Amino acid sequence: MWWLRSPDNARFSSQSFSRMTLATATPSEEARDTAGASRSGSRRSGPDTAFHFLVAASALLVLVVLGGLVVLMGIGGSQAFRTFGLGFAFSDVWNPVADLYGAWAPLFGTIVSTLIGVAIALPLAFGTAFWLTAMAPPRIAAIVGTAVQLLAAVPSIIFGMWGFFTIVPFMARTVQPFLTHHFKHVPGIKFIIHGAPFGTGLMTAGLVLAVMIAPFMTAVMRDVFAAMPNMLRESAYGLGATRWDVMWKVVVPWSRSGMIGAIVLGMGRALGETMAVTFVIGNVTDVGWSLFAPRSTVASLIALQFPESPAGSLRLSALLALGFILMLLSFASLALARMLRGNTK
Amino acid sequence: MTPGTLQGMTQDSMMTKTDPQAAKSPEVALAVRNLNFYYGENHALHDISVDFQARRVTAMIGPSGCGKSTLLRIFNRMYDLYPGQRATGEVMFDGRNILDHDLDLNILRARVGMVFQKPTPFPMSIYDNIAFGVRLHEKLNKADMDARVQDVLTRVALWNEVRDRLNAPASGLSGGQQQRLCIARSIATRPEVLLLDEPTSALDPISTARIEELLDELKEEFTIAIVTHNMQQAARCADQVAFFYMGRLIEVDSADRMFTNPKQQQTQDYITGRFG
Repeated sequence: MWWLRSPDNARFSSQSFSRMTLATATPSEEARDTAGASRSGSRRSGPDTAFHFLVAASALLVLVVLGGLVVLMGIGGSQAFRTFGLGFAFSDVWNPVADLYGAWAPLFGTIVSTLIGVAIALPLAFGTAFWLTAMAPPRIAAIVGTAVQLLAAVPSIIFGMWGFFTIVPFMARTVQPFLTHHFKHVPGIKFIIHGAPFGTGLMTAGLVLAVMIAPFMTAVMRDVFAAMPNMLRESAYGLGATRWDVMWKVVVPWSRSGMIGAIVLGMGRALGETMAVTFVIGNVTDVGWSLFAPRSTVASLIALQFPESPAGSLRLSALLALGFILMLLSFASLALARMLRGNTK
Repeated sequence: MTPGTLQGMTQDSMMTKTDPQAAKSPEVALAVRNLNFYYGENHALHDISVDFQARRVTAMIGPSGCGKSTLLRIFNRMYDLYPGQRATGEVMFDGRNILDHDLDLNILRARVGMVFQKPTPFPMSIYDNIAFGVRLHEKLNKADMDARVQDVLTRVALWNEVRDRLNAPASGLSGGQQQRLCIARSIATRPEVLLLDEPTSALDPISTARIEELLDELKEEFTIAIVTHNMQQAARCADQVAFFYMGRLIEVDSADRMFTNPKQQQTQDYITGRFG
């Protein structure tokens, strides 16, 4: 065989490679070559058709599953939507005894706890990613980078229990008494910290969510920062810029669209997070501005009440309708991200 | 040039001026002595000693990996960004050793500008690209800043092309324009030394020619060190040429002598294209 005769050929460019093949091809190899040519043409052999079909089917399955989910939630929730109309989304009543349901209380909880989580996680993730890519000694960066990945791999129920046993008591015994003592008469802050010191609520949920989504956001931002050309960074340093200048005036504007991606990824996870939030939010279907009063989220409410809702009941339909709205919310955040990204280009 | 910003670096500068040696020979801007450089364990530069004359163009040539870019990046301590890279020896610049640990890097980098292989416009407007570096070191009012921007853009022959769109993103310029913008950005902080790392390697011949013309004008004011793979470019632009091979300085001479009558066989082989 020609490749055994001249091992040096491995270094040749693909052009000389193919020339070599043609020059030394035996009749049987030529026959195989023609078979290869027809493979890329319109006629396909049996196994190839099957392969083509399989990959196409797995890709199309995505559409089927997505459509199926939307339809299932929509049909399941239609009873609730018919009963309460559009008002379902904006009513803050959730009363299984009177069989009256509205989505506003859990929606409010979901949106606010997600925003708190993202707001806390964003600077954390940004700082970690920037430090890991631009400043950390390589050995320490490797260790911290692995730790970030491990943190991302921790199942959410673990965070739920950690939140329940650590954050909730901390909030109840330290943070809330401190805030109440110092700020209860301050007008703009009073209504945010109002409430009995249970330790559960939107703030606690936001904190736990922040710890959960920060590793994911860090990973995305780290990739974004690493993709930034070294030369661009060096150009800024080369003008005598400090790290602070480089970060705010060059790295942040350059990586804006990537950071939006990271935020959306974190938001997506926070919006749907169920177990960890259920542990720490208090599960009361109320609406109010206090960040320290027990609330509920869409996901936690569905998880808690689903087993108690008999098939065909209005309550089950309301829960499915909640799921439908949560899906729309996720799609909307994705669409918003696409729009923001598009604007930067 | 930038009298206010030189604290800590000017103290010994009078000595070089009154040095009897310096009075006879051309003024030396950068004096490299016994310089060694390491990428971790890898010994990349061996005992380099060479003078870079003030207001002259010194070209550094040699095959890829010979250490010429490494040397360039020592002059503004760019290697400091990367842990594990270190230099020993001496690079005297205005009476101080650039390698000193207590040197203020931000001031050094304001005095030693750099332009890279590819244009590196910042993600901001044309105007802000230039103002960015200036704002780091000087507080200018709007009128002075406008004047500075116009001045440097005029000097890189870009003013007429961009005067109507100073607030447009710099990324909208062509490659050649972007590179001239980067040069303008570097000279806007009024450095004394300009480092150019293959500045035309990503440009078409016409843009290249414009940059080369520009170098000819800029050398009246700046000490220029340029790394190039293009022998013709070195011959056209440089007053002095240094040939590097495998981390060693093989030969340094005036451009005329280097390209017509090199002393070393290796130099001869390289410039005639026998290797590299």
